[in-house]
Amino acid sequence: MTDAATRIQETISTNDVVLYMKGNKTMPQCGFSSRVAGVLNYMGIDFADVNVLADEELRQGIKDFSDWPTIPQLYVKGEFVGGCDIITEMTLSGELDQLLDSKGVAYDKDAAEKIREANA
Amino acid sequence: MANTATVTDLIRSRLNAALSPRELDVVDDSESHRGHAGYQEGGESHFNVRIRADAFEGQTRIARHRTVHAALGKDLVARIHALSLDLDT
Repeated sequence: MTDAATRIQETISTNDVVLYMKGNKTMPQCGFSSRVAGVLNYMGIDFADVNVLADEELRQGIKDFSDWPTIPQLYVKGEFVGGCDIITEMTLSGELDQLLDSKGVAYDKDAAEKIREANA
Repeated sequence: MANTATVTDLIRSRLNAALSPRELDVVDDSESHRGHAGYQEGGESHFNVRIRADAFEGQTRIARHRTVHAALGKDLVARIHALSLDLDT
């Protein structure tokens, strides 16, 4: 594995939920990263944020790691879940709740329902 | 004309060739990202693509996106700053 892949593997192995994003969770620097971080924040999910803009090796490395050309990228329990479109769809369909339930990741179910009601 | 084909044209032709979609909408959404990272004068940086194709039958969400990435090709994906996909059968 490359250095980047090794670092990514370690990060996603030691944190239940990791978001590779542009900017960080308190100050996203891209609309798509902002949307996913916003959903995770609103749902009260404890997640690690990795700012790829601050690390050129990771910026390309994360794309190679998952064979996925875009950022943000969400990982839950070491598994790649998707980018902005997929996370948005899964949030609205309830699939994200199911995934978090099955992986034993805590989140605010009422907040998730509120997101769905607001977008119904 | 290949040299003058726009990114929009290329997206459309490659997806049509690879997926034979029932419905295909390619919208250059670059103007709504004016001033943001990746914006370039003349647009063609941010796209919203909506596809309805039988080719997605039985595929997970991730697999559908990967199918589209492969159909577009690495060269074209690299030219696009942001690609929002709405994919279904």
